[in-house]
Amino acid sequence: MAALLNQGQHLMGCHSNKIIRILMIMFIGQLMGGCVSLQIAKFNDGADVPPPPDEFIAGKTSLQEVLSFYGAPTEIVPMKGLFALHYRRTLYRGANISIGIPLGDVWKLSPNWDARGNLSRYDTVVFVFTTEGLLNDWKYEKGTSRPLWNTFWK
Amino acid sequence: MRKTYFITIILLVISCGSGCGVIVRGKNFRPFDENTLTQVTPGKTTASEVTELFGPPSQMVKLSNGNAYVYERSVDKATGLWLVIISFGNYDTQYDRIVFFINEDDVVTHYGSTFKSGTASYGMPF
Repeated sequence: MAALLNQGQHLMGCHSNKIIRILMIMFIGQLMGGCVSLQIAKFNDGADVPPPPDEFIAGKTSLQEVLSFYGAPTEIVPMKGLFALHYRRTLYRGANISIGIPLGDVWKLSPNWDARGNLSRYDTVVFVFTTEGLLNDWKYEKGTSRPLWNTFWK
Repeated sequence: MRKTYFITIILLVISCGSGCGVIVRGKNFRPFDENTLTQVTPGKTTASEVTELFGPPSQMVKLSNGNAYVYERSVDKATGLWLVIISFGNYDTQYDRIVFFINEDDVVTHYGSTFKSGTASYGMPF
């Protein structure tokens, strides 16, 4: 009987400990709400820019073919004797972590530590045309396929 | 005991999940219609007919052999979620664009269009 009671008390003790731990986590979480913050943001501007098809050949492809495939460009750039169509998608990712101890009311100092990082990557293609509307040159870059972390620290 | 656990977990979820969310929709409006493009014929339609059909362009670009008229409008959608210590923000902007290439005789030679504003979406940044 005594052994059973002991076992029961032991089990109750274990459960109480777990509840106390959970309550502690809740309490710390509430306290940290004012001290630690993490912000994650993403901005996407524009639609996907696919790579140019193999049929696009400098000196042969016309302005109409490029317009039919890509639609209206993000930007038209006049150049000396030429002009360029620029298609662009921007993908921005940013993060901000802030750790502070709000002691302003009790002490003059409120230590605060902030770390911010952001990275903008671009999917872009530029087509340069002659005044006759023939493709003179093009360049394509898929920036969003580059790894986020490695590109940021590169 | 199970009931106590259940209540504790509910409290934990409420405690950590307390926060707020926001959705925002913005529109940069220009009154042009995709279907009006059927009335444009390269080699025939003039610059004045273009402005009559689509209104004043958002941008005019001077090219060495004419001009380009650009019509642009956009829709942006934003989603924000603030939890106790973590906040997420997601912004998506998509555009409708039409560009007309107009030669020195004021006649449309080419045009291109993109209608993607309807694809702007709400979401999370992951």
